[in-house]
Amino acid sequence: MSVAFDSIDALAQALTGAGYHGERRLITAVFLALKLQRPLLLEGEPGVGKTELAKALAQVLGRPLIRLQCYDGMEQREALYEWNHAAQLLHMRAAEHQASTHEMEREVYQERYLVKRPLLQALQTPAPGAVLLIDEVDRADEPFEAFLLEYLGEYQVSIPELGTLSAMAAPMTILTSNRTRDLNDAVKRRCLYQWMDYPDRERELAIVRTQVPQASARLSEEVTEFVARLRSQPFVNAFQRAPGVAESVEWAKALVALDTLTLDPEVVQDTVGLLFKQREDVAALTPLLDDLLKPDSP
Amino acid sequence: MILGDARSGKLADNITGFGRALRRAGLPMDASRISLAIESAAWVGLDRKDDLQAALASVFVSREQDLEVFAQMFSAYFRNPELTQQLLSQMLPKAPGEAPAAPRKARVQEALAARKPSGPAKRPAEDEIQLDAAMTASETQRLQQADFQTLSASEYLLVDRLARRIHLPLPRIESRRTRSGTRGHRIDWAQTLHHAVRTGGEVLSLAQRERRTQPLPLLILVDVSGSMERYARLLLAFLHQATRHTPRRVYAFGTHLTDLNAAFAHADTDHMLQLANAQITDFAGGTQLGTALETLHRQHARDLVGRRTVVVLISDGLDTGDATQLSQELLWLKRHSRHLLWLNPLLRFDGYAPLATGANLLHRHADGMLAIHNLNKLEELANAMAKLLKI
Repeated sequence: MSVAFDSIDALAQALTGAGYHGERRLITAVFLALKLQRPLLLEGEPGVGKTELAKALAQVLGRPLIRLQCYDGMEQREALYEWNHAAQLLHMRAAEHQASTHEMEREVYQERYLVKRPLLQALQTPAPGAVLLIDEVDRADEPFEAFLLEYLGEYQVSIPELGTLSAMAAPMTILTSNRTRDLNDAVKRRCLYQWMDYPDRERELAIVRTQVPQASARLSEEVTEFVARLRSQPFVNAFQRAPGVAESVEWAKALVALDTLTLDPEVVQDTVGLLFKQREDVAALTPLLDDLLKPDSP
Repeated sequence: MILGDARSGKLADNITGFGRALRRAGLPMDASRISLAIESAAWVGLDRKDDLQAALASVFVSREQDLEVFAQMFSAYFRNPELTQQLLSQMLPKAPGEAPAAPRKARVQEALAARKPSGPAKRPAEDEIQLDAAMTASETQRLQQADFQTLSASEYLLVDRLARRIHLPLPRIESRRTRSGTRGHRIDWAQTLHHAVRTGGEVLSLAQRERRTQPLPLLILVDVSGSMERYARLLLAFLHQATRHTPRRVYAFGTHLTDLNAAFAHADTDHMLQLANAQITDFAGGTQLGTALETLHRQHARDLVGRRTVVVLISDGLDTGDATQLSQELLWLKRHSRHLLWLNPLLRFDGYAPLATGANLLHRHADGMLAIHNLNKLEELANAMAKLLKI
């Protein structure tokens, strides 16, 4: 099943249906990435929904999601392909006396001895193609970025023994970065870019409601309001890292599990570990609690 | 919508003009981005202005910090292109009434002037550094522009010679990347099979993958306050030359933090000094290391890569700021770096003990500390730096 969207509205609606409430400018960028067949680079703080977008997109497009999690020192072998040397050796041993060298070489370098890694899998997904998520690309090092350049530019790879493999259908590629370092300009040039911010109150409320349907309307509103205040002046300056959407969803789930009906300082204190993951931030929260929980502060 | 619409009409011209305006405002721009933007506009259509803005933004902007400029330019340009011109002229540096001739670099001038018959090569006179009588860091934030000159030829030679001769043992670690070798920990099958071809398919030796090494990133913090005034310039020049092959981040601090990375990105030391000159506004003032480190923490924390960074702090530790803050920030710095090294260049008598609060804290938190007594040559500083890095 594959779906093509011919307007931004249709795409936005489908994503909302899949539980992803995105800003319109983000949906516009996704729409363009699909139409122009360009990779989309998403940057933003952790927990603003970068990875979730790829998942939701795979769902609404009816395409398989192929994910490549990046890490420092990642090599072509782990990202693209590798020959299955053990199987090749076995094959050679078995055919030792029956085949000529030339035949043997042809037999050994066949696609069935190729171990396909995510980037190659994405190329070989038949139409309509895959959704390829290259997650946390800032964790990989610069040589890997350089290698990505060719891939993202041409959607083809050359394997010396087999020749060039081109994409059956260009994958919808999404790169995410938490911006622990700046990416190379050359990579950015090939991508459409989108900076993702924390969602506004209404959008976050919609997300919490969709993800945690068990939470009462009142609780969802209080959670969203509380987190939104944490992220706004003057409170945000007190913390090193404000909680993301992922944190508010987890928090709401935890509050439901504790049968909470409404927020009070005590329950916030008990569950603060879901919002803040740094000791300094937890300590900074305590004196601010009363102000944060005031019904309608100016 | 029809693709041809936007490609041919006035919109294409407008987007091209808009792209060029953005380039003048400092955004990275090239023809392929502009043509992609025109194509995007065609897909999105002109029904909604916010869609058009989002479409152009996703093509033209590739850094968070450019978003604001883009938004302003967009609203100005697509309401009134004339206005954009005004906006641009405000953003661009004013053309100086009478542009001074490009300053000739001092070392070129000296080299051109000194065409005397060559005697025995004299030792560079700049080698000697006079010490200030008062070794104090003032309380007041004395804002002063650094007065770095470009290097004279003799200084240039000195810095160059030191950078060559004094080998900074920049620490290296094994990286995650591997190469074919003999001492590795994993069999290199591709290479093994390759060798086996020579022996008729018989595997006689196993090739291994061994790990490559890579230099650890450096983060250098240089004190440019009053007590360090005399050294700052040559020290920066030396660091610029000696660490050029290693990933490095450089900041200067006095009463606040100055980001010198843009300056250090230039290969030419003179150029670097000129830029640093323009940027450092708290030269020869007081020292507030705590405040400077807090700025580092808040704004540049991602310079510290995964606890691998080696932090080198060059300061006399005569801090006039808040001790609690300094202690907190030092702890943070230590937690996020591999080594925190402190080079203290201004010890003037042998019985020195780090009693001043700042120095005491630094002494407690630093993984390595080296003090230089009686510093009067840059050479000693360079040697000390080499010694300190050898841990």
